[in-house]
Amino acid sequence: MRAFIVSRLLQLVVTMLIVSVVVFFILRLSGDPILVVAPDFFSEEQIEQMRKFWGFDRPLGEQYITFLRKAVTGDFGTSYLAKRPAMELVFERLGYSWLLAAAAAAIGLTVAVPLGILSALKRNSFLDLLITMLSSLGTAMPSFWLGLMLIIIFSVHLRLLPVFGALEPKAIIMPSVTLGVGMAARLSRMTRSAMLEVLNQDYVRTAHSKGLMQNTVVLRHALRNALIPIVTVFGLQLGWLLGGSVVVESVFSWPGLGRLMIDSISVRDNTVVQAGLIWFALSFILINYAIDVIYILLDPRIRFQ
Amino acid sequence: MPIGLNAGSANIDSNMQKKEITVKTARLFLLVSLVALIGALAIGPAAAQDDMSEFVFAHSGPIRPMDAHSHWYGSTHWMLKLYYDCLIWRSADGSGYVAEAAQSWESVDDTTWRFHMREGATFHNGEPVDAAAVKWNIDRVRHPIGDIPLYQQWAFVKEVVVVDDLTVDIHTHEPHAYFEYDVSYNGCELIPPAYFEEVGQEEFNRNPVGSGPYTLVELSENDRYVFEAWDDYHSGRPEVDRVIYQVIPEPSAQVAALLAGQIDMMTGVPVPDRAALEGTEGITLLTESANIMHHYYARVDTESGAFPETFPDYQPATLDINVRRAITHALDRHLLAEVHGAASPRLARVCSYYPEGFADKYADPDIIAEWYDPDLAKEYLAKAGYADGEGPTLYLDTPVVGRGGGAKEVAEVAAALLEEVGFTVDLTVRDASAFAVEVQRSGNNRDLMLATLGCGPALLPLFYQCDWSAVAYNVCNEDWDAVAQAIQVTIDGDARLDLWEQWWEYYIDLTQTITLFEVTNVMALNTGEFEFTPRKDGWMTFRELSKAGM
Repeated sequence: MRAFIVSRLLQLVVTMLIVSVVVFFILRLSGDPILVVAPDFFSEEQIEQMRKFWGFDRPLGEQYITFLRKAVTGDFGTSYLAKRPAMELVFERLGYSWLLAAAAAAIGLTVAVPLGILSALKRNSFLDLLITMLSSLGTAMPSFWLGLMLIIIFSVHLRLLPVFGALEPKAIIMPSVTLGVGMAARLSRMTRSAMLEVLNQDYVRTAHSKGLMQNTVVLRHALRNALIPIVTVFGLQLGWLLGGSVVVESVFSWPGLGRLMIDSISVRDNTVVQAGLIWFALSFILINYAIDVIYILLDPRIRFQ
Repeated sequence: MPIGLNAGSANIDSNMQKKEITVKTARLFLLVSLVALIGALAIGPAAAQDDMSEFVFAHSGPIRPMDAHSHWYGSTHWMLKLYYDCLIWRSADGSGYVAEAAQSWESVDDTTWRFHMREGATFHNGEPVDAAAVKWNIDRVRHPIGDIPLYQQWAFVKEVVVVDDLTVDIHTHEPHAYFEYDVSYNGCELIPPAYFEEVGQEEFNRNPVGSGPYTLVELSENDRYVFEAWDDYHSGRPEVDRVIYQVIPEPSAQVAALLAGQIDMMTGVPVPDRAALEGTEGITLLTESANIMHHYYARVDTESGAFPETFPDYQPATLDINVRRAITHALDRHLLAEVHGAASPRLARVCSYYPEGFADKYADPDIIAEWYDPDLAKEYLAKAGYADGEGPTLYLDTPVVGRGGGAKEVAEVAAALLEEVGFTVDLTVRDASAFAVEVQRSGNNRDLMLATLGCGPALLPLFYQCDWSAVAYNVCNEDWDAVAQAIQVTIDGDARLDLWEQWWEYYIDLTQTITLFEVTNVMALNTGEFEFTPRKDGWMTFRELSKAGM
């Protein structure tokens, strides 16, 4: 286990280094941020002064080394627009994105796993057809559309839930349901197919023939073995959610990382975009590693491989 | 016992067990969902549970830092005006200026203005708002700080002199016609010197201190700003207890929030939503100038900006004044304003409510309708050497959306109008930030590009002077330049208007800036609870907000 963790940590360092190169150079290649920030009436000379102030007049390689040296200490520079440390702005929003991700994941799991199991157990029944149809609908439905529909029904007509922000506990319901529906749809399909595969295995038949209760067979024997693909899909989904769901955060004005990123990209506030993307990549990689550890816990054979 | 019978019995058990697990799972799921929903709904709102009157304004964002001297973004300054006082400020009806931190002011001579401060006035932290504080603030804003660009707008100040604790003189380099306008412009906000020097800019942006009628009680960067009425404000406590700027980027979400009663005002109401909002009890649509105008800049030189490097051998057709005149007469401004959805056609670059805008000439609907003359446009094209309807190719660059709304559709119709008189138009539409980087700020406009600008008269003459180095154009006409310089130093209002009349003749004749329309801001207000008269300058600040029926 120790060797596994050490090797994964080394991989993490290398991956983050590659991510930092990609993020830094792609942002620099996407255009001169000073040209977005500078007012219309600025002369070439004044624009050059601004470039100098922010260090954009130096060679790209030198800029990258400076960026990397500071980044390892957590200093991603100051936001051009907020005039505050970029990572501080990212951390301010992170909690909201995590909260939303956790709520959406909880909804996704709570709905998807039972429905996927039911669908597999009732294969080819009306219930199976209904669940499959709903999950197809959930996968196909654009989140911004679902979000707006929820707003119209629950905020405008019923006046039950707030349209925007994160001011009160119930404000999380609509954005998390919007995100959770898509997640649940994908997870339930995965749960169904994984369960169908294991339900036909010999050991499940053996468990039945031993006279075990159905829920014991399904939950302890079948589900546990079906969990690996489910956990994989769940991990990927969670990674995206932790990075902040840009569309849903915009529709519901949820003050998360996704909205910060969109705002920063639109005004080319590169320091914040860099800090956000690096954090996004890091959280995605860490979740993948956590999933790897869960694999080992779920299936001890993986450890020996 | 036969094997088949055993198997049948096992199947029946298995089916019963499956049903049982199905029912149990469904029950559990329903129970958990119900408890979660009831729990969430039962928890009441975190805010607005007190008796304070609360006004929520939907701001499209982004909102910039609280250090008012560090940026020029108008929509952030709207909000900052709740929190900061300036010496004086523009009156809401656009007719003059009102006292704020200064109790009174006067012109001592052509280059000296004297301000008398209020006795006992303080910032929110108790620091005095005195002559020394004024000097510190103006000295700060008129010098470059970091990358702060506001100092250019304060270059007219020569010196600030503290006469005594409550009297301060501002000396200008020369007579300054628009002194009051400029001294109440962005960067005029007073911040407490001692506090700022103690905490520095970064901390000040987190915990700002001002001296305006509202104090900031909650700040969530670029998300939510909560202001509460300040009891000790020198001119009395504001009527509305709490004003909130809530960033809601999506216009459709703003409309929904207004319909749901969760916000009290939004601006830039989308055309499809206007009827629904207007038909809702307690909501009223208001219109007022957004203080923004849309123009097309014509390329009149090949030297400014990045043009020489980007298009080294290109000779824009718009270098020919007759081509530019053909363009201005080919554009039906009434139609373009209608396509925009919230605009009024204009010929000149100052908003119609300013006397300098000469509304009777340049905002008159009949005159503007007559200005659209395709035959005259064809004549100008012929004069430029393009006979028989065979005009040159024009490259037209526009963002999808400009300040003050839609630009793409307007450009498409403009292109069609130009093609009707013989031009071939190569229209390129870019995302707003790509447009800024690739065309506007880099000076890569080839023939025509959209320019969306404010419409105040104070800075305008500067932009067309020979020594002005804009990247998008370089117009230099020495006679026009002389008129512009005269305007800036002529204190007498009537004499200045005479000069403006001459200035506009050059503007129209040279046709570098082809003005299209003045944008109208369509706002929706919860008039069931609040009364608000939109300011002429388009600022969404709420010092003058009052409760309905009071």
